[in-house]
Amino acid sequence: MSKDIIRYDMEEYIEYMRDESRITGKADSISFPTNEAELKRVLEKLAESTEAITIQGARTGLTGGAVPMQGHVINLSKMNRITGLRFDSDKDCYFLRVEPGVLLSEVNTAISKLEFDTSAWSAESLEALKLLKASKSRFFSPDPTETSATIGGMVSCNASGAKSFKYGATRNHIESLRIVLADGDTISLKRGRDRIAGGILRLTTQGGREICEKLDVYNMPHVKNASGYYLERDMDAIDLFVGSEGTLGITVEAEIALIPKPGCIYGVMAFFPDQEKAIDFVESAKVLESKPAAIEFFNCMALELIRANMYRGHLPDIQRVDPVCHTGIYAELHSIDEDTGKSMLKALSALIEGCGGNLAETWLAISKHDMERLKEFRHAVPEFVNSIIDDRRKSEPTLTKLGTDMAVPDGLLRDVMRMYDEGIQNAGLESVIFGHIGDNHLHVNILPRSMTEYDLGKKLYGEWAQAVAGMGGTVSAEHGIGKFKVAMLRKMYSQDALDSMMKIKKIFDPGNRLNRGNLFG
Amino acid sequence: MNIVVCVKQVPDTSEVKLDKKTNTIIREGVESIINPYDSYALEEGVRLKEKLGGRVSLLSMGIPAVKGMLKEAMAAGADEAFLLSDRRFAGADSLATAYSLYLGVKKIKDYDLIICGKQAIDGDTAQVGPSLAQKLGIPHVSYVISILEASAKKLKVKRLVDDAYEIIEVELPALITVEKGINIPRFPSLEGFFRAEAENVTIWGADDVKADMKHIGLEGSATWVLRTFAPSYEKSVNMIGGSPKEQAREAIAALVDAGFIESGREGE
Repeated sequence: MSKDIIRYDMEEYIEYMRDESRITGKADSISFPTNEAELKRVLEKLAESTEAITIQGARTGLTGGAVPMQGHVINLSKMNRITGLRFDSDKDCYFLRVEPGVLLSEVNTAISKLEFDTSAWSAESLEALKLLKASKSRFFSPDPTETSATIGGMVSCNASGAKSFKYGATRNHIESLRIVLADGDTISLKRGRDRIAGGILRLTTQGGREICEKLDVYNMPHVKNASGYYLERDMDAIDLFVGSEGTLGITVEAEIALIPKPGCIYGVMAFFPDQEKAIDFVESAKVLESKPAAIEFFNCMALELIRANMYRGHLPDIQRVDPVCHTGIYAELHSIDEDTGKSMLKALSALIEGCGGNLAETWLAISKHDMERLKEFRHAVPEFVNSIIDDRRKSEPTLTKLGTDMAVPDGLLRDVMRMYDEGIQNAGLESVIFGHIGDNHLHVNILPRSMTEYDLGKKLYGEWAQAVAGMGGTVSAEHGIGKFKVAMLRKMYSQDALDSMMKIKKIFDPGNRLNRGNLFG
Repeated sequence: MNIVVCVKQVPDTSEVKLDKKTNTIIREGVESIINPYDSYALEEGVRLKEKLGGRVSLLSMGIPAVKGMLKEAMAAGADEAFLLSDRRFAGADSLATAYSLYLGVKKIKDYDLIICGKQAIDGDTAQVGPSLAQKLGIPHVSYVISILEASAKKLKVKRLVDDAYEIIEVELPALITVEKGINIPRFPSLEGFFRAEAENVTIWGADDVKADMKHIGLEGSATWVLRTFAPSYEKSVNMIGGSPKEQAREAIAALVDAGFIESGREGE
């Protein structure tokens, strides 16, 4: 290992001072450890100081979680090996062992092609691979739009995607974690083995430190959530670390679950004559006996944005959206075989027609190629929003979009939609609304045309966060809190709950060195 | 206007790999798809039907499993589907394929226009369409990029040639082969899906179309594939690490070593 594992020539590493949130920070030094031993040596060197340490993956986060404010940056992108595979016959599940810097896209490709660099794999792993090759296809279900995210990053913010509606967020698919703490000590956490029972956390670190702490359990919202620590009286200790935004320890290894791939997948893009009817459809599709894998929403302004861009030649492989289509809903159906898939499709079709949709105008993707086309269509909205904002920044450089990420409990979807629509209309702002409506989780993107509008939008956003918290919802359902949404977290949790989180932080990182600025500000 | 659209199921060549030992395509785990050019042919056929009335019939040759692809194509607007499926058709080259499709078209009988994709992405010959027209004794226009005018009697089309377009008027019945970009194929619709579910794909064997065994399958083929291989060329990738400055220095050194640039004094 070279002596200069810690680099101080920061002018060479400017790109590592920012992430997709477009927040830019600063740091005094940076390192790129390639394995756990190197990481520990970095921590040893840093132990002499009380410097803040910011952990980075691929910096694809939207809330500034990986942006350093000071001190040292540990970038884990070079710890990027897939190190083994295990078959658990009790759980009938394969677990792929990965380092934190492996990209989601790399995991997906390796699993679908069943091609791994097995040169350093154990005999047990090779045996499991043989078994996997002989069995039916498997997949890792979390599907955030940004597939260049690292697994470490996904664990850190409990990432989710469209299909989390059926399969749950990243948390549900993490079987074990190996964590290096700020002082260089290590803990291994396994689902089912390491538990928090009756609010009491008991763990022994590899260095022999016994942790036994009574945690002050607070109430979490009963919705899809990525805000603050996950804490219940009785839970797997691993869940405390998933979604902790790198504030408790550094993930150096994770086992991710490979579940059976559905035998039949249909993608359905339905259009409705108005928003109310579309929501009627969503509410009934959510409770279908065979639950769709994803239910996604596009309000009329989102469809209008797509239409306008199609006329400019964007999305060249996708047919035009008819002007009569007011609101769009995408539903994806996963089933074990084609017959089951067809009966699910029938049930869904009846709902579409019952809610004013027209089956002749409803797009159906069966082939992989058409599924890809629909994916491109669905992901186009945020891309078009970003390109409009980039354009506007040319004359107003401080302008950014305002993107919400809030979710509310079941039964409150209509209320929250009304709140968004009225707020936007009264303020006269330009916006689109899209996202994971199956989980009552929508992204309102406000596109300010000036800083005055930006301030207006920000105020509105703050009011919405307060209202959503009041509804028992979350201020961030999938992007996390990072540095961007610290004030929002305070709207959601009482000071007592925040104190309890801080107490947890102190157990693992008493010097408050890891990812300073995230969650707590 | 009654339209026959010829479609072929092909392996998804974006995923195809060759077995280096046997030089044959590894088909295991490779998805079969509709030949992409044929999906443009289908869309063009459905658009003409929507404009002028009539029906769109699909015609294909292949294994019975091709039915699935034909049903999907019916969900995207075709009215009926015919599949030539018989072990004796197997191993056909473009000549034998054109002959077999010719028999299929003759059995469908009532047609004004035949639309094919310009070529299949597995064989890449672009011969089947023109060859089929020849056998039927009807005119054809290949590489059509746009249909400018269409009536029950004739078509006016724009044809893509190397460095120009040709505008060609052709009397019906005729055959055209179409290029990518002639349209944006629509997604199958849910309504179409359930309609196709209720319909049967008609399967014809060699006897059903009264095939002359001398002209179908391997025996009817004038060409045989002796060997398939991936052209080999060597390339290697060297990753350059370090800080941007170090990377730049190393990259320049590599370019100098390779003789692409002379070692300069500037900046040294």
